[in-house]
Amino acid sequence: MSRPAIAIEALDKSFPPARGGWRAFLQPFEKPSIAALSNVDLQVREGEVVALLGTNGAGKSTLLRIIATLLLPTGGRASVAGHDVVTHSRQVRRHIGYHPGTDHGLYPRLSARANLLFFGRLNHLTKDAAHNRLQALAQQFALGELLDRQVRTLSTGTVQRLSLARALLHQPRVLLLDEPTRSLDVVAAAEFRHFLKSQILKTGATSILFASHTLPEVEMLADRIAVIDSGRLLACDTLAALLQRTAAANLEEAFLRLTGRRRDPGAEASIA
Amino acid sequence: MTPALRQMWLFFCRDLAIARTYRTVFVVEIVEALFGAATFYYVARFVDSPELRHSLPQTGSYFAYSLIGFVFLDYLNAALDTFDHSLQEARDSGTLEHLLVTQTSLPIFMAGSALYPFVATTLRIAVYFVWSALLFGLPLRSANWLSVLVVLIASLLAFSGLGILSASYLLLFKRGNPAKWFILGITSIIGGSLFPVSILPDWLQVIARFNPVTYALDGTRAALLIGASLATLWRSVAILLLFAAVLLPFSMSVFAWAVRRTKATGTLSHS
Repeated sequence: MSRPAIAIEALDKSFPPARGGWRAFLQPFEKPSIAALSNVDLQVREGEVVALLGTNGAGKSTLLRIIATLLLPTGGRASVAGHDVVTHSRQVRRHIGYHPGTDHGLYPRLSARANLLFFGRLNHLTKDAAHNRLQALAQQFALGELLDRQVRTLSTGTVQRLSLARALLHQPRVLLLDEPTRSLDVVAAAEFRHFLKSQILKTGATSILFASHTLPEVEMLADRIAVIDSGRLLACDTLAALLQRTAAANLEEAFLRLTGRRRDPGAEASIA
Repeated sequence: MTPALRQMWLFFCRDLAIARTYRTVFVVEIVEALFGAATFYYVARFVDSPELRHSLPQTGSYFAYSLIGFVFLDYLNAALDTFDHSLQEARDSGTLEHLLVTQTSLPIFMAGSALYPFVATTLRIAVYFVWSALLFGLPLRSANWLSVLVVLIASLLAFSGLGILSASYLLLFKRGNPAKWFILGITSIIGGSLFPVSILPDWLQVIARFNPVTYALDGTRAALLIGASLATLWRSVAILLLFAAVLLPFSMSVFAWAVRRTKATGTLSHS
């Protein structure tokens, strides 16, 4: 059996309480007491797409950030392509592409091309390899003539595509997406999903772990859906299996049943 | 070129490319250097006297003495400021996390981000000297430029440790630069930047001997004004390198600890 792209075992993460005033000076030294993740076990196989579904504050971003080596877990372990995220973080970063779904994080006064080349070369691509990858991604992402414009002049949707292109430049085995369509309009979000489906997933070479509040997005992209609530992984299965297990008619209902939440009859159904 | 050096070069090119989008700043700084040099020249003319010249450690006018003190403080300021400035900028712009998920370590990011500010400060200082030599008679004919370079590099290494400590403080507490405040405050009094240490009370002169800035300034002035060779300046350079040998490893381990703490507390990208 092949090694999982992502393996998470008994993962815990707690944060120290937020402090104000002069007590803020003590915060870096406080013991972590607020649990964000508790005993999470999850595996993502090679080429598999797993969606993280949960309410705000459920622990989805925390989990993604631990795998991206931006956060240290409090307990348990996580690995990417067999490399531990704490002890071998540099090797982990060789295999991951991270896209937090915001339109920040690029240099606004540099051109799109300069931004992508800079990040590509930081990931040890040679000059020629970076240029070649850039051309290929520019075609895939329809960035062509926008490449030489300063990032500050581009639309939010374009910057999002640029940010995803950055995450893919070094051809990572694992893609971590945190609400990738959060700040996109309906059309741009649909294009983004179509792009993921048609360009990234069709090769089967990239595993994706993504967090989303958009149920159609989860249904369209995910092979399995991991339901997280209050830092606990409640279920991780295919859509069909989740529906069968909860005797629900759709994903929204399955989510509400799994988390024990009730839908407000007067409100529009929304997990977010 | 090693991967680490190549990555540092990439940071330099990035900062240069960003700086080139603000072209008027270059012109403003050239003019500003002219005004700064003129101010020092006329203040020196106002206060200069045979008694004052007699109390200066190197031969030359108070203009040369104070100008070198001032531009050296600019250098010190760059060393103290650049690390936490680049960190804060990356954090505020949201690029920090994207940089940290590349195969770049935080120390390389810090060192690479410091390159351009150091080069820019060196050029700014050069402009000060050019104006001062051309228009106000700053005597640089006998300068030993090799000695100047060696003293400046040794000084940068010594003070960078303090800058990295300051960046560690910023990582943990999000605002403030106590190292800069402390060092620049102390230096303005006992560093010998605008007046010689010899006019201070005896006990302050003793403290000044433990201040690396004193040695850095003495060395720079001697190299620039009387063309002191490296053989003459070896003691100042050795003391600065000793400070660097102690401060750099210490500051790097404090910084690594601060990074681990902020990754544990989840405040790495908080501002």
